[in-house]
Amino acid sequence: MQVHVPGPWSPLFGRLTLDQIPYNIPILQYTFAGAMLAAIVVVGAVLYFKKVGYFWREWLTTVDHKKIGVMYIVIGLVMLFRGFADGLLIRTQQVLANGPNAPGYMGAQHGFLPPFHFDQVYSAHGTIMILFAATPILTGFQNIVVPLQLGARDMAFPYMNALSLWLTAGAAGLVMLSLFVGDFSAAGWVGLIPLTELPYSPSTGVDYWMWAIQISSVGTTLNAINMIVTIVEMRAPGMTWFRMPIFSWTTLSTNIIGLTAFPVLGVALALLGADRYLGTHFFTAGMGGNLMLYTNLFWLWGHPEVYFLILPVFGILSEVVPTFCEKPLFGYVTMVAASFAIAGVSWVVWLHHFFTMGAGPDINGFFSVATMLVGIPTGVKVFNWAFTMYRARITYTVPMLWAMFGLFLLLAGGLTGMMLAIPAVNYTVHDSVFVIAHFHCMVLLVVAAAFAGVSYWFPKVFGFRLDESWGKAFFWTFSIATLIVFTAMFALGFEGETRRLDWTFNTAWKPMLVVEEIGMILYVISLACFALMLVFSIVNRKKNAAGPDAWGTSRTLEWLTPSPVPFYNFAVTPQVNTRDELAWRRKHGLDKAQPEHFEAIHMPSNTGMPFVIGMLAAVWGFAMIWRIWWLAAISLTALIVCVIIRSFYKNEGYHLQPEEIAAMERDLALGSVVSEQPDRSHHHYSHVEAH
Amino acid sequence: MAGSHSDPLAHPEVRMGGAMRYIAGFISTVALMGAALIVTLRHDMGYETYVEVVGGLAALALLSQAVLFYGLDISRAQIWKSVSLILTVPLFIITVGLTVWMFQSLDQRTMVMPNSAAAATQPTLLQ
Repeated sequence: MQVHVPGPWSPLFGRLTLDQIPYNIPILQYTFAGAMLAAIVVVGAVLYFKKVGYFWREWLTTVDHKKIGVMYIVIGLVMLFRGFADGLLIRTQQVLANGPNAPGYMGAQHGFLPPFHFDQVYSAHGTIMILFAATPILTGFQNIVVPLQLGARDMAFPYMNALSLWLTAGAAGLVMLSLFVGDFSAAGWVGLIPLTELPYSPSTGVDYWMWAIQISSVGTTLNAINMIVTIVEMRAPGMTWFRMPIFSWTTLSTNIIGLTAFPVLGVALALLGADRYLGTHFFTAGMGGNLMLYTNLFWLWGHPEVYFLILPVFGILSEVVPTFCEKPLFGYVTMVAASFAIAGVSWVVWLHHFFTMGAGPDINGFFSVATMLVGIPTGVKVFNWAFTMYRARITYTVPMLWAMFGLFLLLAGGLTGMMLAIPAVNYTVHDSVFVIAHFHCMVLLVVAAAFAGVSYWFPKVFGFRLDESWGKAFFWTFSIATLIVFTAMFALGFEGETRRLDWTFNTAWKPMLVVEEIGMILYVISLACFALMLVFSIVNRKKNAAGPDAWGTSRTLEWLTPSPVPFYNFAVTPQVNTRDELAWRRKHGLDKAQPEHFEAIHMPSNTGMPFVIGMLAAVWGFAMIWRIWWLAAISLTALIVCVIIRSFYKNEGYHLQPEEIAAMERDLALGSVVSEQPDRSHHHYSHVEAH
Repeated sequence: MAGSHSDPLAHPEVRMGGAMRYIAGFISTVALMGAALIVTLRHDMGYETYVEVVGGLAALALLSQAVLFYGLDISRAQIWKSVSLILTVPLFIITVGLTVWMFQSLDQRTMVMPNSAAAATQPTLLQ
């Protein structure tokens, strides 16, 4: 039943041989040197400052939703950087390899990347940006913000929360490993079928892509369950559904999509895996298989995934805009309804990704109309934000600038999306870079909202605001770069440039390709501004220290807690009186009110099990990729045994004593995210109850 | 779902779990899905029979998971899970229904033999 694979295979190492290390490719040599240098600096710093125990106790084993959120965002930003590097390689290759006389470097006939390497680069770019950058960053925000907005102590399932994180981290590790051991998929981020079938992609590249997505999507699904239960069950007393902040609403709608959509991706990839490993024919051209079934299943997940990314972005904008307009959000109820309308319609539009399949005019017509329907609730949202800004006292802080730029991108991406929803237009520009420019407007909206969110909630987590001057320099360079690159790309789409070209044959495209490259250089400058923003923010952290309400005009419950928010979130569970609770308390002079006394708080204990399970999943993925069966069997067995062992833990947690809470409320540094906590395991639950 | 925050066993839906039921659920599900895989790989059934057999095995696997893993019933502790499953039914109908529609149309438009009656009745882009 097991499929015969080309090339050597041994029982001990599977398909893994020394030849699989691409040490003869110069770009990878430099990348490897850079990665090793970064690893030496990080590991060296941890060892030099004797912080191994701190990292294990406070980060790797944590179940605190804020630390988990921070780690999600850090993973996402690292992967964003990697994905950007891939984007830079793509753009540079296309501008260098233009026309029949384009010179070749480093073994390439044109440009500097041979076709097979170029194909891997764009496949990695898409996979990383969607699944390992945007998704973790947004999940990170949901982790940090939602329990705080709800007035909750933590997520509903803190252990499962950590497990979701480490599954994602393990999968991201596999994607990075493919740089230096073996190769990555050359079949696009969508897994172009039948390219992903074994005869057309006999190396382990597709397997890296497939298993990494499988493992991370298990994490995403578990996280979706956790978010839904947290929102349904963990709201503070008085927080009725229609008092809930919009970001929490969009998190609920997005995770309903996540919970229902990701299993479809799991099935699509499992069937592809059956084709590659067991010799089945689900997606082959013959033997009863059907190629388009894969495309159908992929986009059945893929389109809801688009809204899985966009809805939390709408939530971030809905928090940032009212704060810096000093007004309540216009049309709260319609905003909630629009979020769920978008989530619902997301399930009936997927065929617009393959209108050209030839399903017929009735079907294309149905999906065209369904796609255009998305414009209605989205339009409601845009008007709501516009009306919130109308005649408001707008403060143009960095988060607000990002939010306004996000609105611009939403309009550009949304209107070109309406064009693409028309099958006749879609047939004309299908697979052209016009489509790429369209969806980059949407994913850059995600990036804009992510940076709005980072700059907006950073002071809540770390206790100081990010440097405004460097933040604005970052914003302007990034947004101008976006306009330069993607205006040129829209034009190139109309000029007929198709996507994924390792050699841009038409010399008439040269001017716009050069414009795109200029934009990419500006992106590089913007990254430098981002790094400097972080450096100067940390250096000037005392000057930029923030109070509980870091912006002075915030409206929701997370700004009621001190900044940096202590690990127990709220010293006393808040009683919610209205929508925009903080704005209401500020109006009534209650925002600075302090409780008369504290009561013991029950907290969950840290556990290393999620980290161990996540790493075992990564080892299992590696073993499956290289077909090292003994290692796959051992790691999977160990993983299952760990899950079973953990299910017998009672994890009764510990109680934080009132005097400790009082001390931490006086000195916020004691309870902050980066502080090291003493061992409180002796504060046992039953011990406290006995008192 | 009221219960203690610290003792999972105080929750009635957790108490529904049991090692024997999980093992039985695991074995039956793996066996049923393994049987479907073997049936698929053997190629010794007609198309109609094959679809019926695989569909039946899938339904049994679903039933076994619903009963043995999730203990779905309409008791006070479990009804929220049963309702959650029922809420996915419209989604299932929409996605599977639209998929069947598009592939049926695709089949008619792209898999017809030349000169067949079906080919003559299908509209083309030019019509």
